[in-house]
Amino acid sequence: MIKSVLLCDDEMHILRAAEFKLKRAGFDVTCTGDGEEAWESIREKKPHILVADYQMPRLDGMGLVARIREHDEFADLPVIMLTAKGFELAQRDDADRYNILAILAKPFSPRELLHCVQQVIETGSLDRPPALL
Amino acid sequence: MLRNISVQKAMQQRHAEFVSAVSHEMKTPLAGIKAYVELLVDGEAEDAETQEEFLDVINGQADRLQRLIDNLLNIARIEAGVVQVDKQAQSLNELLEEAFSVVQPSAETKNIKLERDLSPMYLGVLVDRDMLMQSAINLLSNAIKYTPDGGTVTLRSRTDGEGVMFEVQDTGVGLDQEDSEKVFQKFYRVKKDKNMAAGTGLGLPVAKHITEDVHGGALRVKSEPGKGSTFQISLPLASELS
Repeated sequence: MIKSVLLCDDEMHILRAAEFKLKRAGFDVTCTGDGEEAWESIREKKPHILVADYQMPRLDGMGLVARIREHDEFADLPVIMLTAKGFELAQRDDADRYNILAILAKPFSPRELLHCVQQVIETGSLDRPPALL
Repeated sequence: MLRNISVQKAMQQRHAEFVSAVSHEMKTPLAGIKAYVELLVDGEAEDAETQEEFLDVINGQADRLQRLIDNLLNIARIEAGVVQVDKQAQSLNELLEEAFSVVQPSAETKNIKLERDLSPMYLGVLVDRDMLMQSAINLLSNAIKYTPDGGTVTLRSRTDGEGVMFEVQDTGVGLDQEDSEKVFQKFYRVKKDKNMAAGTGLGLPVAKHITEDVHGGALRVKSEPGKGSTFQISLPLASELS
């Protein structure tokens, strides 16, 4: 069964790079440009994993994950977050509270992102600490 | 004493926010460059068309990084009081056409309709080309950033009394009275727009300095919340200066 990945970032070129890498590895990839769009897509397509940027217009990454976790149906949706912002303590706490599996710092490696996505899809977890900044 | 401490703390806070914003602004294009270089190194782009697309992205993001660094350097030069100016007589419209083409890709990405309404007359100005180009690009980039998808940004030029003017009008979120007054202050960022786009709070102060201190013109804003903004630059005609 082909696994689906939902990507969410307001930078088109970042979306395209991640989409390209994941699609070539055989994933079904959907791209969205902000948290609100991603939320609509999650409800409609029920992806196997979400990769979201932290800073986005309308609804940011952490706001999106908070909304996701309010709904039982998506309580276990695995989430990986990308960010160009240094995370402060409160945000790290949020990452723990909302069970974000990894926080990848931008500039990120598409290779590393693919590795994380594959590991989460195969095992349901990651053998690394959530915050990598 | 207490007041001094609180002023110092506010300055430290503003400095920390500035460093954070600059680092975010630099990391975003850098992320694009690194990601596409890695894709090319890994041989992911198999056909020539895809390779070219990736190289175009790398080039575009390198340009974006260059613009940010230019802004930072200009601010540093302004603060140090060492700005080198090279004024030459030239066509304002030609300069605006070039600025227009620089920001066109980012407008397309955001599905913003970018329009030109340039005067059919030759508008001669005596300006430092690179500096004025940067002002125009800063105004256009800002308008694109703070205009929601599907909106319109218009670049206009006209004669203006004894001089010339160009303006950038958008259908964006607009500014209230307080923000309109503060928006040219260095590092000031409109609170409600902070989540809309990443910025350093440098683009408009740089444009104002270039317009007013370097060229003896004026940069003004007319805006209303929900009804968009118009940033207008007035300049003396080249003949007025010679």
